Amino acid sequence: MELNRRNFIKFLVGGAAGIQLTPLPWKLTDDIAIWTQNWPWVPVPPVGEFIHEKSICTLCPGGCGIEVRKVDDRAVKIEGRTDYPVNPGGICPVGMGGLQLQYNESIRFTRPMKRVGPRGSGVFIDISWDEALTMLAGRISGLREKAMPEALAAVDGNPARSTLSLMIERLVKAVGSPNYVRIPCAEDTYEMANFLMQGTLGPMAYDLENADYVLSFGSGLLEGWGAPGRVINAWGLWHENPAKKRVKIVQVESRASSTASKADRWIAAKPGTEAALALGLCHVIIKDGLYDSEFVNECSFGFDDFSSAGGKDRAGFKTMVLKKYSPAKVAEITGVASDDIVSLARDFAGAKAPVAICGKGKGSLSGSLYEFMAVNSLNAITGRINKPGGILVHEPIPLSSLPEIDFDDIASQGLEKPRFDAAGSTKYPFSNSLINNLAAAINRSPESPVDTLLVFAANPVHTLPDGGAFRKALKKIPFIVSFSPFRDETAYMADLILPDHTYLEKTDDIVWPAGLQYPLFGLSLPVLEPVYNTRNAADVILKLAKQIGNSVESAFPWKRFEEVLKERAKGLYSSGAGLVDYDGTNPVWKRLKEGTGPGPDYASFEEMWKKIVSGGLWYRLEHTYKNWDNLFETPSGKFEFFSSKIELAVNAYAEQAGIDWALRDMGLAGKGDDVFMPHYEETASDADRSTFPLMMLPFEIINLTSTWVPNPPFLNKALFDTQLRGDESFVEINPETAAKYNVGQGDRIIIKSPEGEVRVRANLFEGAMPGVLFMPLGFGHSAYDEFSKGKGVNPNDIIHAGKDPLSGYPVWWNTPVKIIKV
Amino acid sequence: MEKGHGHGNSYGMVIDLDKCTGCGTCMVACAAENNLAVRPDESDKQRSITWMRLYKVTNGKEFPHTEVCYFPRPCMQCDHHTPCVSVCPATATKMDYHTGIVSQIYTRCIGCRYCIAACPYHARTFNWWDAYFPKGKGLERYLSPEVSPRMRGVVEKCTFCHHRLMRAKNNAYAEERRELEEGEYITACTEACPAQAITFGDLKNPEHKVSELVKSRYAFRLLEKLGTEPKVYYLSTKDWVRRMADNYLPGEFKPIAKVKLG
Repeated sequence: MELNRRNFIKFLVGGAAGIQLTPLPWKLTDDIAIWTQNWPWVPVPPVGEFIHEKSICTLCPGGCGIEVRKVDDRAVKIEGRTDYPVNPGGICPVGMGGLQLQYNESIRFTRPMKRVGPRGSGVFIDISWDEALTMLAGRISGLREKAMPEALAAVDGNPARSTLSLMIERLVKAVGSPNYVRIPCAEDTYEMANFLMQGTLGPMAYDLENADYVLSFGSGLLEGWGAPGRVINAWGLWHENPAKKRVKIVQVESRASSTASKADRWIAAKPGTEAALALGLCHVIIKDGLYDSEFVNECSFGFDDFSSAGGKDRAGFKTMVLKKYSPAKVAEITGVASDDIVSLARDFAGAKAPVAICGKGKGSLSGSLYEFMAVNSLNAITGRINKPGGILVHEPIPLSSLPEIDFDDIASQGLEKPRFDAAGSTKYPFSNSLINNLAAAINRSPESPVDTLLVFAANPVHTLPDGGAFRKALKKIPFIVSFSPFRDETAYMADLILPDHTYLEKTDDIVWPAGLQYPLFGLSLPVLEPVYNTRNAADVILKLAKQIGNSVESAFPWKRFEEVLKERAKGLYSSGAGLVDYDGTNPVWKRLKEGTGPGPDYASFEEMWKKIVSGGLWYRLEHTYKNWDNLFETPSGKFEFFSSKIELAVNAYAEQAGIDWALRDMGLAGKGDDVFMPHYEETASDADRSTFPLMMLPFEIINLTSTWVPNPPFLNKALFDTQLRGDESFVEINPETAAKYNVGQGDRIIIKSPEGEVRVRANLFEGAMPGVLFMPLGFGHSAYDEFSKGKGVNPNDIIHAGKDPLSGYPVWWNTPVKIIKV
Repeated sequence: MEKGHGHGNSYGMVIDLDKCTGCGTCMVACAAENNLAVRPDESDKQRSITWMRLYKVTNGKEFPHTEVCYFPRPCMQCDHHTPCVSVCPATATKMDYHTGIVSQIYTRCIGCRYCIAACPYHARTFNWWDAYFPKGKGLERYLSPEVSPRMRGVVEKCTFCHHRLMRAKNNAYAEERRELEEGEYITACTEACPAQAITFGDLKNPEHKVSELVKSRYAFRLLEKLGTEPKVYYLSTKDWVRRMADNYLPGEFKPIAKVKLG
């Protein structure tokens, strides 16, 4: 056949038609489909045996029970435990996403390292554990040889009371330094308020589940306050049956947070005026005679007027409140209508089991001392202290304390020197740690008084306010050691990295989950083999102590951290009470009301310890209610509306240069007897309000971490696109305020404060108080990986933290700002 | 109540919006359970892959009367004329009359995204890219072998954690049972919710809590007027929240007189 044009086309068409009759095209399409779905880079998760292991989540001080689903040695899912009394099955989104913190080399340190690049660049080289420990031990021994052990300091963000934090404090002390500094949190303020009014040192314990009226002064019940698994479960219980709803929730907050807008009633008080509101409620309750006269008359001090030693007439709490906190006056201060104040007070006093709670947001920021005292007074006048559904007063959990340290001469001399942050001095007599003061002390002096800084479970560069004051301080410190498992901003400033295990790889304890109403000791266990060359920080401390030698070595006579935990647990056994079994069928809060419980469910210490190791907990049901006669350990032996301790402390400080000077220097604006009682004073600010006419408030959300723990990337899915869009975060602003500055939805604005400026986008939200800008905490990382780095801005960069009167803690709620449209 | 065409079960969900706190644990639990891909930028919500997604609504009232409510939205598992099933040219999605669950078969999906257009609830998302796992960082180690990771070019959606049904059934068969007990099969979001806002069960089984809850006067579904018969119900005592669920003509929405509390 001749190959001409005609035949050629015939051939092509015939061929094309013919192929359609063969399976070829269908086979090819199928193959293409299969081929394009089998890229070698699409991961195929290996199969294996399913194993479930139980532990406790220690990502926050809440300590919820978790169960980790494993496939062979790989963890694939974290779920809540139903046989753990804190959280009956549910956990928070951060805990749920925990595996993304475990398996991510971009955000974890995989081995000990030392810095070679400039500070903050994150350039490190690998070293061995021996080399790293020798380096650090040598450095600390050197300080001791130079007789300046106080130049060692530690910043610790581990939960209060945990054994690990005791070990860190012990190390610093044994070396001879008083400079053990903690990251501030609401519980610090709470403990101070309790110490002043009740004289007790037990932790925050609210019997929320048994209350029928919860008045929350800004506590983010739905934002992650306390143990989120417990509090949100309580929320579910409160809303179990809409027809028979028994519990009323009232939220005092300046923004329609989830808690505020889901509460039965939202009271929008101006930020920082909560103390005035609490006292206004006290005013109405006292005036209407709705207070618990039995408690007030028999068990309190300073409620009525009294004469002090020397026959001086003193005004009591009642007189002060009646005189200065009338609903009209409080309405003026707080912006809450006086009718609302009156009805709220009557509702509160009229409820069967009301409780007023404090600690704003998640409770990871310190609060205002007088505000906490005011809230405490509200609970006291209604007789809600140590009653079911109220505030329970406990002794600290009966864990054995560690043996006394036998200090050598160098250590004893070092410990006599004053703390760099002046906490516990005559000026700040009630504070344990003032990290902002530490930063200021370093920034103030030409050479850093701190030579070596150890950082544990903390990221102060990101989480502290004042536009990077702490970062500036770090630059001056000659040697910084980070024990963080994560490549966070503070670790980037470090010279030596001694990475800890993650919470799933190590043994740790939670001593009394935040806010829980009964004593509970939880043991978190390694559910995974360490995936990298990391070590439990507590074991590193033991090794380090051995290398430093002398009294430091003798202060740590243990080989492994587990021995320390076991030794402390002996105290639980010798307390002769407590249970280690819990099956989830009968919630602890239900049984707690009776005040009694069965005897210990173990016969020997070894049996108890074995059960704690397998079940992860020890808890106690017995509680003595209403034991007001012998409950309070104040100088008067009663609940003190008028704090003798404040009076003593202020008078002691006044010996230096007179009372007026003393009050001013302690940051107090109040006068006379008011300062010894809960009172409201406007937070001082040196900023010019005509230049900065607006206020900026940071707020916390449950699906974004704002502590030292990185944010699991899954949580980015749960952020709304009015919170983060691309790399830009949003500020919430009332439409009315926005209109004043001609700002529309999504507009880019610059927020300027005396500390600095940030660029954000505006989200117009009716639930934001006019005149106040609300910025979420947790954005704006310069460390970590592409899932968090460079996303949004950090409000701490512009927060202007003054000092809380008397306590000296940072104030997060008082930043004057202005906005400039871009 | 007549549900579905076949016999067997009709799994459904009731979400109590008064209990829901908007914490997002359901979203994270779902993502972790079902190997959802995470991209560095999840803020573009049209590209972000979510099976369970949280929506935030407000009553629009002025300060301080503003209220916020959250709608967790899984796949509605529409029972009637399932919109995605009717349009799929590749038979990659179908409704199982024995369970009421709408499946998605990735290897059949040709990526035409017709189902995404058809779904009135935006419950389906498309893999514009392969799952993002930075090389050598080990992030893929948490992937669960129970659910296959998806490849680019396919549509995915909530399956009511179908593998959990398989797991529960296997366990039951091993014990020589044919029927599952209530609670034996629940989705990851149900299990994770710290407020216990989600109830899951068989709508056809009168002994299951869900079949009781859907009779509540406060129960409603999203876009009910479309007649797709979703098997996801919501509860809310708030009129303004229930009004959000559909497009009502003036006067059409019937508020429920507030019950006197306590």
